Amino acid sequence: MIRPARPSSVPTPVGAPLRRRERITEWLNEGALILPAAILLLVFLIGPFVMAGVLSFTNERLIPRPIPTRFVGFDNYARALGDPDFWQAFRNTFYFAMLVVPLQLSISLGSAMLLNAKIHARSFFRTVTLLPLVTPITVVIVIWAALFQIPDGMLNNLLRLFGYDGAYINWLGDARWAMPSIVLLSAWATFPFQMLIYLAGLQEIPVERYEAARIDGANAWAQFRHITFTGLRNVHVFVLITTTIQAFKLFVQVDLLTRGGPLGSTNTLVRYMVQEGYSSQRIGYASAVAILFFVLVAGFALLQRALIPND
Amino acid sequence: MPARLRTLVALLVLALFAAAQAQQITAWVIDGESERPYFVQVQEAFNAAFADRGISVNVVRLPNINDALQAGFLGGTLPDVIMLDGPNMAAYVWSGQLAPLDAYLDADMRADLLPAILDQGTYSPDGRIYAISPYDSSVLLWGNRGYLEQAGVRIPASVADAWTFEEMEAALAALAQLPGVNWPIDMKLNYTGEWYAYGFSPFLQACGADLIDRDTWQARGTLDSAEAVTSLQRLQGWARNGWIVPSAAGDNRFFGDKTAALAWVGNWMWRVHREGLGDDLVLIPAPKFCGDLQASPNGGWSYAIPAVAANKDAAGAFVAFAMSTEQVALYADTTGYVPARASAIAISALYGPGGQGALMAEQSATIAVVRPVHPAYPVISSAFERAMNNILDGADVASELARAARAIDDDIADSDGYPPFGGR
Repeated sequence: MIRPARPSSVPTPVGAPLRRRERITEWLNEGALILPAAILLLVFLIGPFVMAGVLSFTNERLIPRPIPTRFVGFDNYARALGDPDFWQAFRNTFYFAMLVVPLQLSISLGSAMLLNAKIHARSFFRTVTLLPLVTPITVVIVIWAALFQIPDGMLNNLLRLFGYDGAYINWLGDARWAMPSIVLLSAWATFPFQMLIYLAGLQEIPVERYEAARIDGANAWAQFRHITFTGLRNVHVFVLITTTIQAFKLFVQVDLLTRGGPLGSTNTLVRYMVQEGYSSQRIGYASAVAILFFVLVAGFALLQRALIPND
Repeated sequence: MPARLRTLVALLVLALFAAAQAQQITAWVIDGESERPYFVQVQEAFNAAFADRGISVNVVRLPNINDALQAGFLGGTLPDVIMLDGPNMAAYVWSGQLAPLDAYLDADMRADLLPAILDQGTYSPDGRIYAISPYDSSVLLWGNRGYLEQAGVRIPASVADAWTFEEMEAALAALAQLPGVNWPIDMKLNYTGEWYAYGFSPFLQACGADLIDRDTWQARGTLDSAEAVTSLQRLQGWARNGWIVPSAAGDNRFFGDKTAALAWVGNWMWRVHREGLGDDLVLIPAPKFCGDLQASPNGGWSYAIPAVAANKDAAGAFVAFAMSTEQVALYADTTGYVPARASAIAISALYGPGGQGALMAEQSATIAVVRPVHPAYPVISSAFERAMNNILDGADVASELARAARAIDDDIADSDGYPPFGGR
């Protein structure tokens, strides 16, 4: 490419004060670059959040109504915090996160390490492993509903194959099994995302470290513990926080498969919020739940961040 | 190029003139597999019939019409004709979203409509019709004749002849013993949403209870009454015995692998049941669940005209056309639902005298109870759905019903009793 030799393209000498007009042009340029993102954030993130904050103090309805909307103070918050269903959903949300996060991270790390090893047809396996991620969650749910089906779904048939002589396990209809079943499905459905990040992290670890460790006589476990696991520290922090936040947002799986049942054992905060705001059309109340939910998630993310700082 | 310009202008004027003459309206309708052929037909028939008056309709089928309606109501962007679920009509009228239909439905047609369909579409504060359904639905027991005969169960022939509770319970117990029967009855627990208020309120009404008191518009004292508790305890007992197909067992136990002997479900399963069971399919009326009372639910998706519609007269012409005897009969014969007009029942192949669906038409005409026509209905329905799910999963019946009743009454109080409706 030929460089234009016009005087205006000569860079301003370092240290020379910018002239007023140039400063304004610079601001305008920067502003123009930020503007699209800022508008999107404002309209789709900050705006709705502020609206939810305001609405949470009113008795607003989803469908407009002929009687005026009133400010009700902290009534919505008091009602939510006094509702046993809210607390059940709260406990379930935590229960789900506690089960799914370790399981999903183990699967992701394990498969990332497998796919990072020098195996045959590696790119084929890498592609296949990504399939759950590119399958819409509703399709995944339909497939798993068939696996969980009673009395003749695949999981129950497997049980019988291995000699289980009870009639069948009602995976989704038994309060003890429903949440673990949802955990299994959810971990499978989204693990490739974390796996990709782990895979990238693994490739960042210098090979020399492993070579040095082998010379020092470290076995595979010691290599994993001291080089792989430790070397992934920053990846762990990122993956842990995003997976936890993702887990808190559990909705589609339980809404389609169990409707929060049996006996509310799989109801989550997001589903509780949707039920109140959409099915029962109480937007004011649902906004209060949304604010409580936001405080919970933000608080938890900050706590995690404080406990496990980056390197 | 003045010549070409002149032609262009002339064409433009012509096009504008034609546009002013031709009036196209849009109708949003439900998109179901069984309804689809009907809506293709009605668009062609209407456009042919009204071509000389310059009116045409574009019928748009929407899979998630409830979401589209919610968004349309919020944004004020709705077409000229919409279809809404009958029990939600009152909530829409109360918030000022619908225009009355009285001017478009003549007296002959109104006299010809099934009373429960008229009730479903009439808003009690002003007595006007705001929604009108071309069909009626009903729920009854579908039976597998082979199993019933094997178990020695009497098959009732008419509504008056229905099973009593004791008879039905004995039948379920006998059916449960048969080889091949995993569950005596499928009550469609795999459904979500409106099914629970629709399909299970008859068990309340047959026992003298209801979803809500329809004079005071209070749920407490009615939904949680002793009669309601007794009735739902009976259903819960069946679930506890393992007699009801659980939700995770899927949709096809009655008509597919035939591991269920009875099904409590509505007309929409007609075709599937016929294909699955053939001549083994029998229709059994809704049971006398407590004493001598019986009830079956009714109603369905209805035509309505939004208050913001631009072409109300053309929209009214379309609704009147779709509600004509011939169109109503066609709707029923295409979908399997009961025609909403007496004159259409008479010419329907399925529901006319001696037709296979005569029992369903009889239920619609005799024991149908319309769902509460009240703006709080969406809340009533979702509160009852939650209670019903928990009850069938084994929760305490009295406390579940009390909680649902409280949720409904709280909602009504939150809206100051939905004036001008009564209730506190």
